[in-house]
Amino acid sequence: MNSLSRWFSLAALWLSACGLVGMTLIIGWQVFARYVLGAAPSWTEQGALFLMLWFILFAAAAGIREGFHIRVSIFRDSVGDSVAKFLSLLSHFIVLIFGVFMVIGSTQLVIATWQHTIPTLGLPRGSAYIPIAGAGLLIAFFSIEHLVSEITGKKIKPLWS
Amino acid sequence: MELIFLIVLLAVFLAIGLPIAFALGAASLATFILLDIPVLVAFQRMAAGMNVFALMAIPFFVFAGELMARTGIAERLVRVAEAAVGRTRGGLGQVDIGASMMFGAVSGSAVASVSAMGSTLMPMMKDKGYDADYAVNVTITAAILGILIPPSHNMIIYATASPVSVSIGELFLAGIIPGLLAGAALMFVAWRVAVKRDYPRGEFPGWPNLARALIVAFPGLTTALIIVFGITLGVFTPTESSAIAVIYTIVVGVTVYRSLGFNRFIEATVSAVKTTAMVMLIIGTASMFGWLFALLEGPSILASGLTAFSENPVVVMLLILVILLILGSFMDMAPLIIITTPIFLPIAMEVGVDPVHLGIIMLINLGIGLVTPPVGSVLFVGCAVGKAKPEQVIKTIWPFYMALILVLLLVTFVPAFSLWLPGRLA
Repeated sequence: MNSLSRWFSLAALWLSACGLVGMTLIIGWQVFARYVLGAAPSWTEQGALFLMLWFILFAAAAGIREGFHIRVSIFRDSVGDSVAKFLSLLSHFIVLIFGVFMVIGSTQLVIATWQHTIPTLGLPRGSAYIPIAGAGLLIAFFSIEHLVSEITGKKIKPLWS
Repeated sequence: MELIFLIVLLAVFLAIGLPIAFALGAASLATFILLDIPVLVAFQRMAAGMNVFALMAIPFFVFAGELMARTGIAERLVRVAEAAVGRTRGGLGQVDIGASMMFGAVSGSAVASVSAMGSTLMPMMKDKGYDADYAVNVTITAAILGILIPPSHNMIIYATASPVSVSIGELFLAGIIPGLLAGAALMFVAWRVAVKRDYPRGEFPGWPNLARALIVAFPGLTTALIIVFGITLGVFTPTESSAIAVIYTIVVGVTVYRSLGFNRFIEATVSAVKTTAMVMLIIGTASMFGWLFALLEGPSILASGLTAFSENPVVVMLLILVILLILGSFMDMAPLIIITTPIFLPIAMEVGVDPVHLGIIMLINLGIGLVTPPVGSVLFVGCAVGKAKPEQVIKTIWPFYMALILVLLLVTFVPAFSLWLPGRLA
């Protein structure tokens, strides 16, 4: 499980990094096209935004495994070890539930909006919600890994330490 | 009733240590279910909150800042500041503030500023006999200046969250004078404390060296000019100017400073992706929360509570400041901007405050929250970089807080500080 999740997390972050570079190139191209070629393509802004929504959610999911999301730790740090452990289990469990709902809610959205098109891109509107479902799956998976690791006491190796 | 459920649940989730983005999301989701609203609406709100053109500037500004921090621009800015203000008593404190102001003009992220300035200046300060708590105090309070001095991605979040249309270009211009004012106030306090603790004086390296330092730093500082003039003159949209800033930084890092290799580039990209993911997820779930909060009439309940208390504009604004200070000490900037802007902006406009002006007030106010416990990301990063204990830092930070609060009051009650410059140039 550990090596699988490591691989998922690494892949999510790499894809996101490529997405960020891709976005930069698209917007750079937009400016170049407007000032040098004389006409800005109509798809660039919407395309870059679409790309951002796709990549950012996967990176956010990886953040669950790597633990880089900001949180308020003051209360958990001030209680005893056993209470802290319980709170940690509880919060991983809540994140797991949220991940599951991300999958359910966004799948419904994808189905409900698949017939509509995003004007400048020609893609179904529903495709913009797919990454929420994908990220939800990853978030649920990583939370389960955290829960298992809390219970068995086997530490998760972060990608960079 | 449901409103109380939503707020209490959020407080509980935050307290047990759920990541902020998930605390907002899970509390909202539970309330959606309680209200029998289909969960698909929740995720539609989340996607809608993130699906905003202007928000693309966030990853770009963060990316540019990360690249900037790895091209050695921080050291070059420190050299400029050292040559310019290093000769005063406790000169390195002045250098820290001056360099943070310049770094703020190229990056705009307080956390990036603390890590860049802290890792360059704190070791220098300790070498020269400055105390760790002083080094951290100066660095973290100076980092807030980056939020006010454009470019600032928090201004973009504010413009997006505002129910009335606010120009990002005007916000950028409006932040400049308050940023300089806050910088001056911090420099004064840093100097007073330095005199009291008898810190050493630096030496003036002479005008030629100052000029040389400026020339070396100039290609980096140009980023700020590209962004600010690009936006205010209408050459680029904010999103475009931020993407241009990224490309420009890569070009300068590779060809002029020759310090941006492939590994550093990858490091900067991954780091930017992580920060952006964190901020964007918060924006998404905070929009979910904000939508519910509005549906349950939270804003109007709060507004009528505020105006029932007093209708005097000064009192109303003071109340807003206090509420934001309290909220800011518990929560991060981005979610608070998204949640509180739609609440406070109509009230503030009612008492005659301009939306651009309120934006600057909120940024200073919530910026102070970043350096106050129990939740202050900049405070804790600063302590980590400076290897100082937060308790120790907080004990001696008071004069710096006072300076910032004073600036906050001045900026709040003298609108000209924020509105004069955009008025001249718009």
